[in-house]
Amino acid sequence: MNLIAQTVADGLVLGGIYALAAVGFSLIFGVLHVINLSHGIIVLMGAYLALIFSETLHIDPLLTMPLVMASLFAVGYVYQRFLIQYAVDSSAFGSILLTFGVALMLHNIMIWVFSPDMKNITPTYAFTSIKLGPIVLDAVRVSCLVASLVLLSCLAGLLKFSPLGRVIRATAQQTLAARLCGVNVRHVYALTFAVSAAFAGAAGIVIGIILPFSPADEATWTLNAFVVVVLGGVGSPAGALIGGLLLGVVSTLTAQYIGPSFPNVTMFLLLVLLLLVRPQGLLGNAFAPSR
Amino acid sequence: MSQRPALFVAIILAAAVVLAALPLVLPPFYVRVGQLMIYSAGLAVAWTILGGFAGYASFGNAAFIGVGAFTAGLVEERFASLPTPLLLPLGLVVGGFACAVLSAAVAYPILRLRGTFFAIAMLGVCHVCAELNNNLDVLQGSLGLNFPSITPAGWDPATFFYELYLVAGVIVFLIAWQIQRSRFGAGLLSIREDEDTARMLGVPTERYKRIAFVVSAVLTGLLGVIYAHSLGYITTDSVYRDDTNLNLIVYSLLGGLGTLFGPVIGAFMLVFITQVVLARLLDFHLFATGLLLVVLVLAAPGGVLGFVKSWRLKRRYAARVPAE
Amino acid sequence: MSAPILRVEALSKRFRGLLAISDVSFAVEPGSITSVIGPNGAGKSTLFNLVTGYLAPTAGTVSFKERTITGLATNRIAELGVSRAFQIARPFRDLSVAENVRIGALFGKAGARDVAATTREALALAGMTHLADEPASVLTVGQLRHLEVARAIATRADLLLADEPCAGLNPTETAAMIDVLRRIRASGVTVVLVEHDMPSVMEVSDRVLVLDAGRLIADGAPAEVSKNPQVIAAYLGTPD
Repeated sequence: MNLIAQTVADGLVLGGIYALAAVGFSLIFGVLHVINLSHGIIVLMGAYLALIFSETLHIDPLLTMPLVMASLFAVGYVYQRFLIQYAVDSSAFGSILLTFGVALMLHNIMIWVFSPDMKNITPTYAFTSIKLGPIVLDAVRVSCLVASLVLLSCLAGLLKFSPLGRVIRATAQQTLAARLCGVNVRHVYALTFAVSAAFAGAAGIVIGIILPFSPADEATWTLNAFVVVVLGGVGSPAGALIGGLLLGVVSTLTAQYIGPSFPNVTMFLLLVLLLLVRPQGLLGNAFAPSR
Repeated sequence: MSQRPALFVAIILAAAVVLAALPLVLPPFYVRVGQLMIYSAGLAVAWTILGGFAGYASFGNAAFIGVGAFTAGLVEERFASLPTPLLLPLGLVVGGFACAVLSAAVAYPILRLRGTFFAIAMLGVCHVCAELNNNLDVLQGSLGLNFPSITPAGWDPATFFYELYLVAGVIVFLIAWQIQRSRFGAGLLSIREDEDTARMLGVPTERYKRIAFVVSAVLTGLLGVIYAHSLGYITTDSVYRDDTNLNLIVYSLLGGLGTLFGPVIGAFMLVFITQVVLARLLDFHLFATGLLLVVLVLAAPGGVLGFVKSWRLKRRYAARVPAE
Repeated sequence: MSAPILRVEALSKRFRGLLAISDVSFAVEPGSITSVIGPNGAGKSTLFNLVTGYLAPTAGTVSFKERTITGLATNRIAELGVSRAFQIARPFRDLSVAENVRIGALFGKAGARDVAATTREALALAGMTHLADEPASVLTVGQLRHLEVARAIATRADLLLADEPCAGLNPTETAAMIDVLRRIRASGVTVVLVEHDMPSVMEVSDRVLVLDAGRLIADGAPAEVSKNPQVIAAYLGTPD
């Protein structure tokens, strides 16, 4: 019983992070209808940037967040406005291939700069833990979960209440109508991408603190984001949270009770099951025509 | 071409004979490059039966290379006492059958997805197959699997496999060509253009997609079986390759998506560039491939054939305007 | 009279709270042109979607040639001989006009066929022979409507459902379309139209069904229906 509770608790912690890592992917897909295959690499960029900043500035990795998010916000804006937009305009498969190509290039660059080896970000409180009844949670994981939830709520608030959020939602729902109302759609797309990249970077920091990472992980994080979006539904932080928690719990339960070497198998079986039962995702419409 | 099928087949066979004679004059390095070119072209044409004709671009066809190769290898190991000439046919039959079963099983849930969702779900299928293959000990994915040598006495192995790929490639190409010009092919085309309208016109879209998926999977698996024999020893990583998954899409995009010759042109071009032009730049491989993709998407979204076609259309209209 | 080719019985369709089609029953005689009219949102397109299998009804049945077709897949219904031309044309854009029509001829109603001859005849019937080799992507709105009809006819359907074939066309184009519909009927195909353009409805139809808020409020010859006070109140009375 304790083992189950502990496993589920670990799964929820992990799931919060999956959710944060996927929310940007979900937003880009919901608003721009672009599958961003360079999402995982942006997550890793966040992790590597946090590593550099925390080592050079001698600060806690979580405190590098504003810096990392600001840098990736800028990168995301430029990337969408001056590269992806052209691919979207040119062909149906354009954006997916372009983002894949960019992921490959950045992957290679990361190997040159950081070596293909595993890296870790270790905060000072790495070895303290918190006891909640029979369940033991280490401080790192808890602080990361809290950071994830706070960030997700911030993004949800941003989308719901800020003027930028309103414009983003309007553009996602009725692109043409938004354009007729004077919205500069390309600017909004680029801003959406920038916000998504910033949150992906934040997720990268959290991931870097909890798990070792290497350039080769980028595909896993892209795939995870995809699964989370399919599970939860496109475009909303709440959907990403539900999908992420579900994925987190299922993967820790599998690792505990079936074997640690089958993460993709369970993830995928879960996905297929859900597609058969509820093709539109748990929340919202994940399968609106994507061509 | 479609009006004179006999002529078309004759031209293809003549081209095949010329290709078959090339190893006599080429240095060994280029025979190996030629092997890879023809193998890749075969895979690309098999991919295009579903991805190009019906518009369901799979991002996980390496799953069928892996499943075909491992099934063949495991069965051939059990029947190692058979005479050597029987081993490859046995491997082809069981490998192809395994791919047929797998593709028919995943077809139902997977083909409900469209566009990019289908593409990435196929990537998931590939990763799951690789993971199972790697972690279930009986399948020997992490340990590796040896293949018996099937090269007949007196043949150079490189030349033998070159000719074998050529035969397989021509067969795959002619099957794809027959599909393209049949009623079935017209149905696939209408699915690519607008699936809902196709169904309304009476195209049995679900059945057609499933058949195209299985045919594409089986042909891919058969090529995978030959590939495994040419390697002689495989592990999970050497057959379930993500770069294969990617390249299959890139070949078609480079040559011209949805056409029959596009994937062939694309595969020949890309393999030549990476194997010959970039051969000495291994550290830059990912970067160079990525850059090629980016440039391709931005500069020639219709591929080589698309480029030629739009140029021809322009000329046609330019020629017509003064006449009217 | 012979047995009806299409029979709709007590058909209803509910979307969440909204009853889009409410207890609608009618039958269509073979070889006739029947028009379904009604104000915007009356449920005309929903009715077509129910008949062609796009939507499943909440209650009621649709039968074609005395055979129940409710619940059949769209392509099965097409194989039995029902075809549809969309209001917003959905051509296969990468194909030529003739290739579009050929897809209809290759599939559609089950049975033996001569694809080339069927394609030619459908093109001729819709008055599109001169455009056969043009890519569908360059056609005008009016030409696209004709292409929709040609492709639907090429399926050798016995029943053609045409969704506002004249919407947005100028008077010359409308007259040409009416002419095409007449020729289609003359070739033995039963036609059911959804139409907004009252003069053309009155001119071409043998019979008019009036829908209002999902209910069938009138059913009869054009002359009778246009005098029906309920219809005038619901539809003709309101300026379009």
